[in-house]
Amino acid sequence: MIGFNGITVGIIIILLGLFGVLTKRNTIKIIMCLYVMNSGVILFFVSLGYVVSGQAAIFDHGRTLLPMVDPLPQAVMLTSIVIGLVITSLALALALKIYEEYKTLDVKDLINKQND
Amino acid sequence: MKRTSEIVSIFTRKLFPFMLLYGCYLISHGHLSPGGGFQGGVIFGSAIILLGLVEGIKEAENRFQEKALSLIKNIGMLVFLLMGFMSMFFGRAFLSDFMPRGEIGTVPSAGLIFFLNLTIGFMVGTGIAVVFYRLIKFGSEE
Amino acid sequence: MKRIVPIILLLLLAFFLLSAIKINFGQPKTGLSQYYLNHGVADTGALNIVTAIYLDYRAYDTLGEATVFFAAALGVFMLLRKPGEGEKD
Repeated sequence: MIGFNGITVGIIIILLGLFGVLTKRNTIKIIMCLYVMNSGVILFFVSLGYVVSGQAAIFDHGRTLLPMVDPLPQAVMLTSIVIGLVITSLALALALKIYEEYKTLDVKDLINKQND
Repeated sequence: MKRTSEIVSIFTRKLFPFMLLYGCYLISHGHLSPGGGFQGGVIFGSAIILLGLVEGIKEAENRFQEKALSLIKNIGMLVFLLMGFMSMFFGRAFLSDFMPRGEIGTVPSAGLIFFLNLTIGFMVGTGIAVVFYRLIKFGSEE
Repeated sequence: MKRIVPIILLLLLAFFLLSAIKINFGQPKTGLSQYYLNHGVADTGALNIVTAIYLDYRAYDTLGEATVFFAAALGVFMLLRKPGEGEKD
């Protein structure tokens, strides 16, 4: 029985992003699909640390009533968000330079132009 | 070049200082409430990005020079490393806390975490703004 | 017909990844995070446990992340400069 929770939805989003990376031919769309994959990984790990009826891992002056969610995946995914952001911007800059040089963003055309 | 509408322009001008203030609040209270260095820094940077999108890149560069933002980013990285070596100088492990702590629940309660948050926040905010400037100025004439 | 290879690859990967649905959702899993929740405030003085992990327990991670951020921002800065900018002669 497959539960429709954050873990399975995260895996589905990762697979969707990978499908886009494998089939799209435009460089900008490939970069967008990479970021979709990054979002899927973040959703997967954050929901891995979920606890039923848990509150966020922030103490209210030393007093806590409910169980708390796992703070470790959240802290690791904070790093992942930063890396995804800057890697996307770097990839977009590279795509701009590619367009300036070859006047196309299509992967097949780029391979043909390099073989000429 | 087509001008943006009056409503967007006026709202941006009124909203801009409050966005900067909110970013600074998130950075400085990152260890007490939701938020932190990166989140506050992104709000700080998106305030500059909003100004650049609405008022034009010239107006944004009048207030925030690209060279100054880049310098703050570079200095932030250096200060982050220097704080790590400072805690080695005080006889602790690299990047561990060496400062006196205040009462729990107040801003100086966490020692070095506050200063690391400050460094990361300004580094991320200025870095995002610099990346935005570069991406939007590329290929434009003048 | 051209999409048959990506679909086969995806189905293979989905077969491996979907073994993760056996994880029981919503239960606490590691004792390590219980340690962080119990001792985090006393150890670091920060009420926000995520910040305590991010900047105190695992500050090396943050150093690496800051280095990657700095390098990528510098890469964009260098890639998108105007011709002749920054060259001294």
